[in-house]
Amino acid sequence: MSAPTLKIEDLKLAFKTHRGLIEVLHGISLHIRKGERVALVGESGSGKSVTARIVLGLLQQMKTARIAGKLEFEGRELDRLSRRDRHQLRGTKMSMIFQDPTSSLNPTYTIGVQFREVLDRAKPGISAADARLKAVEALADVSIHEPERVLDSYAFQLSGGMNQRVMIAMALANNPSLLLADEPGTALDVTVQAQTLRLMSTLAEKHHTAVLFISHNLGVVREFADRVYVIYQGNIVEQGPTGALFDNPRHPYTRALLAAVPRITGGGIPDIAETTDDFFAPLAAHAGFSEKELLA
Amino acid sequence: MPSLIRLLAKRLGTSLIVLIGVSLLIFAIARVIPGDPARIALGPNATAEAIAALRDRLHLDQSFLTQYGYFLADLVRGDLGTSLYTNRPVTSDIAQFLPATLELVIIAGLMMVAFGLPLGILSARHRGTFIDHAIRMVTLLGVSAPGFVWAVILMLVFAYFLPLFPIAGRISDSFTIPPVSGFLLIDTLLAGNIRAFGNAAWHIVLPAFALALSGIGQAARLVRSNMVETYDKPYIEMAQSYGFAEKRIARRYAFRPSLIPSLTIIGLDFAAMLGNAFLVEAVFAWPGLSRYGVAVILRKDLNAIVGTVLIMSALFLIVNIVVDLLVSIINPRIRLSQRAS
Repeated sequence: MSAPTLKIEDLKLAFKTHRGLIEVLHGISLHIRKGERVALVGESGSGKSVTARIVLGLLQQMKTARIAGKLEFEGRELDRLSRRDRHQLRGTKMSMIFQDPTSSLNPTYTIGVQFREVLDRAKPGISAADARLKAVEALADVSIHEPERVLDSYAFQLSGGMNQRVMIAMALANNPSLLLADEPGTALDVTVQAQTLRLMSTLAEKHHTAVLFISHNLGVVREFADRVYVIYQGNIVEQGPTGALFDNPRHPYTRALLAAVPRITGGGIPDIAETTDDFFAPLAAHAGFSEKELLA
Repeated sequence: MPSLIRLLAKRLGTSLIVLIGVSLLIFAIARVIPGDPARIALGPNATAEAIAALRDRLHLDQSFLTQYGYFLADLVRGDLGTSLYTNRPVTSDIAQFLPATLELVIIAGLMMVAFGLPLGILSARHRGTFIDHAIRMVTLLGVSAPGFVWAVILMLVFAYFLPLFPIAGRISDSFTIPPVSGFLLIDTLLAGNIRAFGNAAWHIVLPAFALALSGIGQAARLVRSNMVETYDKPYIEMAQSYGFAEKRIARRYAFRPSLIPSLTIIGLDFAAMLGNAFLVEAVFAWPGLSRYGVAVILRKDLNAIVGTVLIMSALFLIVNIVVDLLVSIINPRIRLSQRAS
């Protein structure tokens, strides 16, 4: 079997503060194979987003961040790459989609100008005409009917859903092998979010792009992920295939998380403890879905 | 860009209203300050008849509104009256003194932009490091003292103790330059006299720098703080996630959006230099309009006061319009909302 697109082994992260080190990730391991859609689920502050930023190499620039562990991308150990080679991967082989599409676009340039900057990463010196042609194509792929008009617009002139499509189109324009989706569209309303996520999912499939979904939204995860990792306070507490994990949650924290989903039938949100000792129970992997078995 | 033209027309219209208001106000204030302009002009030995004749010529015995009416009627003909101080038309006084002030203020403004912006950008890019701290210290020094204090310090250090620059004046007496525009830096070039140009440039360095220092500090600190704030925006992280070069991110993603709020203030600072120039001109014996303004106020030279203030206000408004245009060029939100409204 070929090397997984992304393999994280025993990743640890701590921030140095004036009160000493604060540990954020206590050694998490996960992997994603080519074209796979994997979700990393947890509450805010659990360490989901920092994981994505470490993969991209964004957190490494922070002077206070202490990072340990092994990151492999398509079989290459990322920390062994030269700075330049590692930088080269960003925006070409891996790209990211952010929470709030409208504020993630530069307000002083048109979509078209920014699209060209993105395409320029994979094809340095791409001409304006070529870039425009490719951008129009990419926007058509995310079902934008007037790509020309959108390219000449500024982010603040477009709706949130439209900007989200633009972000998806940009993220996939260079055919990356890995797409990191950090709470994609959380800032959008639910129907628009579902629409754009479906688009992202089918498009990722078409490009054979592996997706790491980072989310606290279990409904989204259930619909779009093949496999799920549940993260709690910097530890992976449960992992398994989406269906089995939702039908038969093993770890106390996962059960609490699933119980916290509000039901349309009413009854309010169940009372669950902020934190109990149970939540720190060791990792529960579903049969055949531990890192060891999956990577064998 | 028809939207820009519309913006310009709108701003010119409001500026005209402001100018009328300013003229009324200064016209009134000049007449309220104690002292009889006719007596001051003619001196202590003047006869009562002479004073009465002058008061009559200046319409000083008429009602305020009548006086203002005379003033407006003259103004539309481009006549600001005669100065009692120089005995010349106020317009020719202004034409003589204004270029020196403008030259000083424009050079100071260029210095503000040329030093202030790069320092601010450098500081923001290296935020939290030694470079940042050093720049912030130096710029704090710049804003902590007004221009005329710097003028005295700079003059002492760089013209007196270390005679690197001339102490005062616009150009050495040995040069005779035919006035064309009144801007020595331009007229010397028109005369083809490179040495005179160098001499004039050498003279303007200290006064312009003294005038610019607080602006440089202000601009640098403003650009830094706005840029540092912009560095926390999601689109910066997005740009980093795509691996754009740091320089590119600094220029296009951090600096440019942050320039929008900075530019308005920098424009105001630039306009404020017109006022600060009064004291700097006094220190460096710079023959500009500001020095003229002080002299005529002390002599209660009504026409000259109103004329000087009016010209200064007009310049202030022009600077503001230019800044507004620049802001709307770099801020698509304003540009496009103009079109919509």
